[in-house]
Amino acid sequence: MSDIAVSKNGLRSLKAFFGLLVVFLYAPLLVLFVFSFNDDSTIRFPLQGFTTQWYQDFLANPELTGSLRTSAIIAAIASTVAVLLGILASLVLVRRRFFGKSGVTAFLLSPLVIPYVVFGIALLILFKTVDVFLDQWIGVTIGLSIWTVAIGHVVIFLPYAILVLAPRIERIDERLEEAARDLGATGLRTFRSITLPLIVPAVLSSFLISFTFSFDEFAVANFVVGDQVTFPIYLYSQLRFPTLLPQAIAVAVVVFVASLGIVILAEVGRRFLERRLDVESEGSTLVPGAA
Amino acid sequence: MGLFWKSIKMSLIVSAICVVIAYPIAYFLALGTSKRKYTLLLLIIVPFFTSFLLRVAAWKFILGDQGLINSFFYSTGLRADEHPIPQLLYSQFTVMLVLGYVWIPFVALPIFVSLENLDRRLLEAASDLGASRWQAFRRVTLPLSLPGVVAAFVFIFIPTIGEYVTPSLVGGNKGFMFGNAIQDLFGPGFDWTTGAVLSMFLFGAVLFFTLVFARFLSMRQLST
Repeated sequence: MSDIAVSKNGLRSLKAFFGLLVVFLYAPLLVLFVFSFNDDSTIRFPLQGFTTQWYQDFLANPELTGSLRTSAIIAAIASTVAVLLGILASLVLVRRRFFGKSGVTAFLLSPLVIPYVVFGIALLILFKTVDVFLDQWIGVTIGLSIWTVAIGHVVIFLPYAILVLAPRIERIDERLEEAARDLGATGLRTFRSITLPLIVPAVLSSFLISFTFSFDEFAVANFVVGDQVTFPIYLYSQLRFPTLLPQAIAVAVVVFVASLGIVILAEVGRRFLERRLDVESEGSTLVPGAA
Repeated sequence: MGLFWKSIKMSLIVSAICVVIAYPIAYFLALGTSKRKYTLLLLIIVPFFTSFLLRVAAWKFILGDQGLINSFFYSTGLRADEHPIPQLLYSQFTVMLVLGYVWIPFVALPIFVSLENLDRRLLEAASDLGASRWQAFRRVTLPLSLPGVVAAFVFIFIPTIGEYVTPSLVGGNKGFMFGNAIQDLFGPGFDWTTGAVLSMFLFGAVLFFTLVFARFLSMRQLST
């Protein structure tokens, strides 16, 4: 089969090219990894020797751990909301027909095609305007905080959640839901006992994807974060005006390894669970009356 | 205005180069290997899920005055100490290199999907009818994977044109992009009105380009 697409020599050179790209992608990461163990407080060559000092120090740096906590809170809020909205939106988009559906779909996915700088500014102006308005009418303001960042992240990562969830919902046999309703289940009950269990893997994986992206997001957060410090913002300031850069890199390596693990686990787990669920739901439709 | 065209040019070059590099990679994954293709794909995509800032920063440490490349040249004596290679960091080239590095994993994905969905019987038919590999590629594979290519192009063009983080870290004065001008007006410059106008302008340009590409795509589909 492959011989029609590529000749033997072609395949060999493609393989070499692939290898080169992998080196190109991972070499810079390796450099970072090396520096996180380098015994020198500025990032420069030649290397000075091995130390795990940076990994020990960052735990005692309240600014750094605080920024990690802030980022984790934002990521947790944003990804939870994005996934919940994503489930609702995907259900409607997949199961219902309504006027202007393609328009609504395009609207929901549109954050994918808005440059972050434009979106960040738009949010900033929006929050400021709302604040001016609120200040005039009831004398309170929201200000910029982790909440405004979370709102921004919900909008950005909702499309990703929909793109993961909608195809999964599409693959659920609609007759299962119909059967539940025929047996007298309410809409909510049907969702809870039939639909939700079948989409759990996709829900988890979209949650983890949103969480990792949100944890790492800088470009939009930078505009609407106010005086709070998220981890990417801390990292950015360290990169521009390094004072404790090796610590920041050490943390980043830890975050890197953690998110790597999460992504791989999520992907592998989703594949595994979905395969099992597909077999189960097929089995139950093949044997009528088995349930 | 000059800055705007410079940014457009930089983004277009980065997107084009990325697509050209990613295409053979996607082709290899989709049509060259059989069993381990998803593992290999994951290998390419994983860096995309890791810290963006960190991946940009890594290049600073590679290309900087005391970075990997320069210190290699110092230690081999090819360049005198304290005389780093000019333009290695803080130039347009650096910004484009790093942008390409950051986005390549993402570009390979849509191309891979379109090649993966290609009906292989079409290729067999082409070769049965006497087409050479190159002909089969040019007349069958390439046209059918074009939607993926255009999608990939758009997916990298949009984020790079609005980019301000990468240029501010590795661009210096020469790598300054339109996004930096906008960000400046909302930070130190503090001229929100002008900034808002510029960002609407950028948004309009992105919409225009996206529509042009989408149009190009649907015309291709109509003609085949």
